[in-house]
Amino acid sequence: MQQQAKLTRKREAYDVVSNIAICLIAILNLFPLYWLFTSSLKNSSDVIKMPPDWWPKTFTLDNYTEVFHNQPALRWTFNSLYVAGLTTVLVVIASSMAAYAFSKLRFKGRNVIFIIFVSSMMVPKEVMIVPLFQLTQQLGLVNSLYGMIWPNVAIAFGVFLLKGFFDSAPDALREAARIDGAGEVRTFVQVLLPIVKPGIGALFILNFVQVWNDYLWQLVVGQEKNSKTLMVGIATLMQDLNPNFAYKMAGATIAAVPMLLIFILFQQYFTRGISIGAVKE
Amino acid sequence: MRLRNQVWKDNVTGYLFILPQLLLFLLFIVYPILEGIRLSLYKVQYKQETFVGFDNYITLFHDPVFFKSIVNTVIFVVFIVILTVGFALFVSSAVFDKNAKYVSFIRGSYYIPVMVSMVVMSMVWGFLLNPANGLISYGAREMNLSTFNLLGNKNTVLPVVIFVTFATNVGQAIILYIASMIGVPKDLFEAAEVDGASRLRVIFQILIPLVKPTTIYITIINIIAVLKIFVVIQMLTGGGPNNATVTMMYYLYNNAFKYNQLGVASAVGVIMFIITLLLSVPQLRAMFKEK
Repeated sequence: MQQQAKLTRKREAYDVVSNIAICLIAILNLFPLYWLFTSSLKNSSDVIKMPPDWWPKTFTLDNYTEVFHNQPALRWTFNSLYVAGLTTVLVVIASSMAAYAFSKLRFKGRNVIFIIFVSSMMVPKEVMIVPLFQLTQQLGLVNSLYGMIWPNVAIAFGVFLLKGFFDSAPDALREAARIDGAGEVRTFVQVLLPIVKPGIGALFILNFVQVWNDYLWQLVVGQEKNSKTLMVGIATLMQDLNPNFAYKMAGATIAAVPMLLIFILFQQYFTRGISIGAVKE
Repeated sequence: MRLRNQVWKDNVTGYLFILPQLLLFLLFIVYPILEGIRLSLYKVQYKQETFVGFDNYITLFHDPVFFKSIVNTVIFVVFIVILTVGFALFVSSAVFDKNAKYVSFIRGSYYIPVMVSMVVMSMVWGFLLNPANGLISYGAREMNLSTFNLLGNKNTVLPVVIFVTFATNVGQAIILYIASMIGVPKDLFEAAEVDGASRLRVIFQILIPLVKPTTIYITIINIIAVLKIFVVIQMLTGGGPNNATVTMMYYLYNNAFKYNQLGVASAVGVIMFIITLLLSVPQLRAMFKEK
């Protein structure tokens, strides 16, 4: 990222004070997470001790072993990874094909269909959860991971995002491939797809996170214990009769870790991906 | 003749490329919308459906809980969106012209709760606010505040839910604003600098007007996100105390999956569908104007 020109050259009091405040608030904002991690490492009596231990006096991993022992937490993690991973792969395939067509091919009804796709993007699928659930029942996909997958593949966000990338790829490339005798499919796969790779990267991450957190739909579709996803399964710990808060916090930590790792590894892609969704100036 | 053949071939190729997306779209988006509109006009009991016209809508508008859910949803939308836009503007305008390491540190710290997800954040806040042994309740008792059960009191529960949702999600708006502000051409600031304008004046008179498209975008995606607010309600308050925090999405979910009122739930869905569609018009218009 290039260095940005300073707004004003003089250091102003407002600038200094506001930045100090922003740093303090950032730390305060992260405190609940600090409390989550440290609480999950305390034993069941220390975790509710008042006044509290700001740092655990004794560390224990018992809560974690208990979560993995009492709950199919590994299964839930696998389910979440499978649902988010497969949905994202399917989204990338379907939306890159469609985005390519909307951007580079001429066919009747192109603009109208594109406008309908984009308009639908704004409507959350949750508002149609009743008919969507009935449809899932009819397809025999309740308690199936595929019931969680397909409705998310249908969302046209990827088409919108990738079309922008295809639009900025020069037409001359297609012409050149055409002259070399490449068919439409080969032109798409071998010439255009490599060019829109940054867009696919951004789409991959954005979509993965969105599906990972698709709580309400996964709650409704995965009703049996073993077909729950990590978020839904862990959320049931809150209603669990077990009064041990350290145990619940250990569960919440398990649910938090995969996404934190992904964020730390791919921060650059995130920033770019999220910003691409926004309107360009 | 050759020309017409070519046009036909182009049409086929185009449709083959959009076919997978189009089929999924028709099955999982268009069909549920039509079916939802139809269901909202029926009374559904097990497998039996009876046409009742607008009865479900009339039932809804006679239900005080539904009214409460609309009022609460509007309160959440207004306060959360204003807080998010205001705070994100404050943070981004102070931070974006600093060195890249610092920018990514601030961005990261505010974005981590977004990544960790509303489910996990709700669990932590549920623990912090737990009246028996939560840290915040303990603090409130130590300071002799009149209420320490912030989630059980109908005067404090709305602000708490608003704050938790805002604090968890504001990172996304900050990322968007920073990206947009870094893209503003620097010569625009230099002109102001020559005039000796103060930083606050430059922010208010140049920067904020220039990032207006981003503000519109953030406002709309946040309105739509808060409109379907559910997780924090289910996990922190269960709509209580005494329906004080029931939202439209929560009301819809309960009718559909707890009380088995599928017709009524569909009617709520249709109303929400129309609201989101109306709200997204300005955004769509902005998107298509670019072309």
